[in-house]
Amino acid sequence: MLVLGIDTSGYANAIGLVDGERVLADFAFATRNESLARITLNVDNVLRENGLGLEDIGGFGVGLGPGSWTGIRIGVTVGKMLAYGTGKPIKGIATLEALAYEARDVQKLVCPIIGAGAGGAVYAAFYRFQNGEIHHEGDYYVGDIPGLADLITEPVVLVATKVAEYRDAICQRLKSDTIETMEKALSGAVVARLAAAHLEDGRHDDTLALAPLYLKESTARAFVNRYRKQVQATQQG
Amino acid sequence: MLVLGIETSCDETSAALVADGRTVLSNIIANQLELHRKYGGVVPEIAARRHTELIGYVINEALDAGGRTLRDVEAVAVTAKQGLVGSLLVGVAAAKTLSYMLRVPLIGVHHIEGHIFAGMLSNPELPLPHVCLTVSGGHTLLVHVRDYCKYELLGGTVDDAAGEAFDKIAKFFDLGFPGGPVIDRLATQGNRKAFHFPRPLLKAEANYFSFSGLKTAVINAFKSELASGETLPLADIAASFQEAVVDVLVTKAMRAAKQCGVSAISVTGGVSANRRLREVFSATCKREDASVYFPALSLCTDNAAMIAAAGQARLALGQADDMSLDVIPNVPLEVQHAG
Ligand SMILES: [Zn+2]
Repeated sequence: MLVLGIDTSGYANAIGLVDGERVLADFAFATRNESLARITLNVDNVLRENGLGLEDIGGFGVGLGPGSWTGIRIGVTVGKMLAYGTGKPIKGIATLEALAYEARDVQKLVCPIIGAGAGGAVYAAFYRFQNGEIHHEGDYYVGDIPGLADLITEPVVLVATKVAEYRDAICQRLKSDTIETMEKALSGAVVARLAAAHLEDGRHDDTLALAPLYLKESTARAFVNRYRKQVQATQQG
Repeated sequence: MLVLGIETSCDETSAALVADGRTVLSNIIANQLELHRKYGGVVPEIAARRHTELIGYVINEALDAGGRTLRDVEAVAVTAKQGLVGSLLVGVAAAKTLSYMLRVPLIGVHHIEGHIFAGMLSNPELPLPHVCLTVSGGHTLLVHVRDYCKYELLGGTVDDAAGEAFDKIAKFFDLGFPGGPVIDRLATQGNRKAFHFPRPLLKAEANYFSFSGLKTAVINAFKSELASGETLPLADIAASFQEAVVDVLVTKAMRAAKQCGVSAISVTGGVSANRRLREVFSATCKREDASVYFPALSLCTDNAAMIAAAGQARLALGQADDMSLDVIPNVPLEVQHAG
C-alpha cells in the first residue's frame, strides 16, 4: 500500500512516501515558520518526483504531536483534508513513537525526547521493542530534564535532535556517563511506515474526528483546572 | 460558479457554499461561545484547538446541507488576513489542501472584506459606491466601498471595538458573554435617558471612534449608584450605555457618508444585529434622505458565506492566490485598489 506521511510538529515539513516497508521518499524541509506556506507545495513535489499523483495514494499517516502546537494543527488539518477529499484512510502517529522507531533494533529501553518550548521543558516517553513490536511503557512525560532523569532506572537510549544536550543534563543528574544516544529528527517516511502497518491491518482513525496530541493543556484551561482544584481542596479541607 | 468559503479567523468555525456570488446554498457556523464563556472572552489557544477539531465536520456539513459534493466545488475562498493567527492557520491549511486536491483556484480573503460582502450578499439592491460600517467584538471600521474590491479606509477605533465595549460592560456586571445580545435584551427594560454617558469623539470631524472612556464612565456611574445605596438600575445603565454607543455609530456613519457623497450605508458585523442600532439608523436615514442596509442575522456575525462571496468577486477580477498562501494576522484592508 502506498502511504504518504506528513509531520509538521517541529516547524519543518517532513514528508515521506512508502510502499509497504519500502521507502520511496523521505523529505525534510526546514520551514522557519513557513510550514503552512510550504506544505502543499512540498507534498506536491514529493509526489511529482516519484511520478505519482494524489489519486495513487492508498492512505495517509500524520504526526499528531506532541510538538509545536501550531505545527501539529497544520499537519493534522492538511492530513485530515487529504484523507477526506480522496476518501482514503488516515492514521495518526504519536511523534514520540515515530522518533522511538528509529531505535527499533536496540535491545534497551528507548527514550525519545522532543523539546516543549521555552523553559527547557520536554515531552518524552519510554518504549521497548520486542519481536518487532513496539511497547509503550508508562505514561507520556511532560516536564524538565532532571524530572525525566529521575524516571530512568535502567540502561536507556535517548533519541532526539540535539540529543547530546539532553544526555549531558541527564548524565549530570544521574551521576553516570554511560547513556547511549541517537541523533534523529522526525522522519516523514517513518510516520508513513508506521501508519502503513496500521492501515494494512484495517486500523484507521475517524478522518473528521482526528485531533492533535498536545499533552500539555492550553494555559487558560490549565489555569481554570488549577483554580477548580484549589476550590475543591478548600471545600474539602 | 460554486465557491466553498471557509472562515476561522476568531472563534466561529464556518464553511459555506455560495453559487455565483449571490445564492447561499449553505452557511454552517459552529460557534465556540460555550467554551469561551467562562473566561469572558475568546482564548486564542482554545479557539485554535477547537477549529482543528471542528473544521472537517463543518466543511462536510456545508457540502451536505448545500446538496453538493466536493467535486462540484469550483473555487475555495478562505479568510487569510486579519484575525487570530492560530485560528486563521487552521482554515487556510484546510482551504489550500482542498484547492490543491481539487485543482481549483484558491482565494485568500481579508476578513473585513468578508463583512463588506455580507452587506451586498444580503441586499442585492445595495448600491455602489456606499459607506460600510463594520462593528463587532473585534472591529469598528468605516470604509468607503467605491466598487467591488475597491476600498478607501475612512477610519476606525483608536481603542476598544464597539462590540468589545459591550463585552466589557457585560463582564463587569457579570451579565454573560458575549455582551451585545444580553445588553440589547436588558436595555429594552430600561430608560435610555436615565444616564447621560459621554459620546467620545462625537464632535470630531475625523472618522475615528473611542469607546474605552465610555466604559469607564459607565463603571463610575455604577459605583456612585452603589454608594447611594438604592437598588441598582441595571437596565437603565444598559439602555443608556447602548444609546451612547448607537448615537456615536450612527452620527459618525452618517457624517462619513456625506463626506463621501453617497447616500447608502451598509452596517455589518455582530453589532449590526443590535435592535436599537437598527432602529436609530433606519429613523435617521429616513429623516436625512439616505438609506441603510443590514445583513440577514445569519450573516451579521463571522460566517463563511460572506468570505465565499468576497472570494468570487476577487476571482472575477482575476485575483487568486497560489499554493504559497500564508496567513497575515494583522494587516489593514487593502487600499491600493482605491481610485
Ligand atoms: Zn468579524
